[in-house]
Amino acid sequence: MNAIIISAVWGIIMMFSGVFTSKGSVVRNTAVLGLVLLLVGNYLDLIGYHFFPVDVHKMLFFDEFGLLANTVIFGSTLIFVLLSGRDIENIAPRMPVAECFALVFFVLCGVSLVTTFNTLLMLFLGIEIISIPLYILTGSDKRNLKSNEASLKYFLMGCFSTGLMLLGIALLYGASPTGSFSIDELGIGRVNLSALYMAGLLLLLVAMGFKVSAAPFHFWTPDVYDGAPTVFTSFMATIVKAGIFIGFIRLFNETFGDSQSKWQLFVAIITATTLFIGNITAVFQQSVKRMLAYSSIAQAGFMLLALLSINGLARDGILLYAAAYSLATIGVFAILIKMKDYTFEGFNGLAKHHPLLAATCTIFLLSLAGIPLTAGFFAKYYMLASVVETGHYLWLVIFAVLCAAVSVYYYFRVIQAMYFKDGDAQTMELRPAFKGLLVVVAALIILLGVFPQLLLDKLNTLIYTW
Amino acid sequence: MALVGAILVVISKNPVHSVLWLIVVFMAISGHYILLNAQFLAIVNLIVYAGAIMVLFLFVFMLMNLNADTEPQKNKWLKIAGVVAGGSLLLVFVAALKNADMKNQLAVMNKGEIGLIHNLGMALFQDYVVPFEISSVLFLSAMVGVVVIGKKD
Repeated sequence: MNAIIISAVWGIIMMFSGVFTSKGSVVRNTAVLGLVLLLVGNYLDLIGYHFFPVDVHKMLFFDEFGLLANTVIFGSTLIFVLLSGRDIENIAPRMPVAECFALVFFVLCGVSLVTTFNTLLMLFLGIEIISIPLYILTGSDKRNLKSNEASLKYFLMGCFSTGLMLLGIALLYGASPTGSFSIDELGIGRVNLSALYMAGLLLLLVAMGFKVSAAPFHFWTPDVYDGAPTVFTSFMATIVKAGIFIGFIRLFNETFGDSQSKWQLFVAIITATTLFIGNITAVFQQSVKRMLAYSSIAQAGFMLLALLSINGLARDGILLYAAAYSLATIGVFAILIKMKDYTFEGFNGLAKHHPLLAATCTIFLLSLAGIPLTAGFFAKYYMLASVVETGHYLWLVIFAVLCAAVSVYYYFRVIQAMYFKDGDAQTMELRPAFKGLLVVVAALIILLGVFPQLLLDKLNTLIYTW
Repeated sequence: MALVGAILVVISKNPVHSVLWLIVVFMAISGHYILLNAQFLAIVNLIVYAGAIMVLFLFVFMLMNLNADTEPQKNKWLKIAGVVAGGSLLLVFVAALKNADMKNQLAVMNKGEIGLIHNLGMALFQDYVVPFEISSVLFLSAMVGVVVIGKKD
């Protein structure tokens, strides 16, 4: 609850900070302060201290899984703001920076709802609070036609999927014997499913699949990620996606856990298509930004593996994956923003001019590809191990490994361009603090790659309680 | 009345007439709500749909200045494809739901007062107060968004 209240209130504070000051640095520092407060508040929630005792009528349920996910998400947002916050001002002249940060905080409020919801009503509200600010952030570069197009496309498709989701929730409500939105009551003892229940489940699966850009509901992703200002692409592809995934898994664990055998094959097929389409189309891209958009679809495919096999390893893994993926992608995007040319050629010879930038970029890309010694390796390992533990779907594990091998190709194209090709990669002005932060993030990734237990030890207690 | 209105919405040539028939449909649906003893829902349906949204519709139509010349060419195959796709969806739903045994689950209200404003208020401000408050964040973010988009550069 602390996190939800603080993020909502801080959103309002950010909104008014634009009235009192026009200096970008003041606004940015306020945002950083807010994020630190959020982290502290969330930690206090975790150890059982609440600022405001609120009777939530079982609408929300604050378990450690959700709160730890919040920690990961707020932490990555903090890194995101520190790395790329300055670039929000550069999107367009006279950019309303304070309002953008306000929207970011509202999104965080939505994410913390989605990670701790206990009724479908709260899930819906959370998803909407995430989506609506995102439509605006996508279109915040108002003079850019591509950004406008992306925003409109995202809005229309998003509204449609929201409608599907509402229909699914309504059907589930009708199917529940007591007439309840509570995910616990909906889930109890469901082995023989009624047609209504099944239809509701499928519609919810489709709507959530749309939100996390799982194939075949992924068509909006490349256009939106490509059209949106790169800063916000980074935000959407990492923090928001990770948050919605946590909600996705929570929903299917608590509500549909008993009927797992009915939908597992369906999820397996979605996972396989997501992995296949994401990885294969990423190979053919010429622009690094678009390649990253497709690679984010591919990464979503890996995260879907956790949904397929809901067990202790999966819950562990999804948190590690969220952390590893968010850190690495935020890093790559932060470097991408500084490039003048977004194509692969634009990276030619970066290593000669900016060796530090190239080195950190390499670490991020290696982590995304899942090379050992980086966080991405253990993240992928946990995902695959969780599926192996279920004992079925070994074909999917093999397929996922093959897809990961394909992904190595397009990530290494960037590395190859940076190190082995001649050219003068143009970058914008780089501040020493930015470089320092990049090194810190890269160090974090390697640290998580060598000792994934640092993050997961906190989780061990929670696995036993489950 | 609702069905006749709905059919007329689809078949009238003039979009403005369609909108007017749509208002008739909403009126009829509101009547159904009153018959179900849900006065609040009936009034809200009238105010929001028949009032606000339909006026918005009319404005949009008048701004767009639709007439026969500006209508895009309709492909015959596209129409057939649409019919086939819609028919398949219908078939799927019929096939999926034909075994659904719904009759014995049809709504049984205790006293039929569940739709009254009093009960709605009780539910909204006791059990559902948290989502009620949280939805204010949603609206606030939407408003901030409108300002961001609409502000002059």
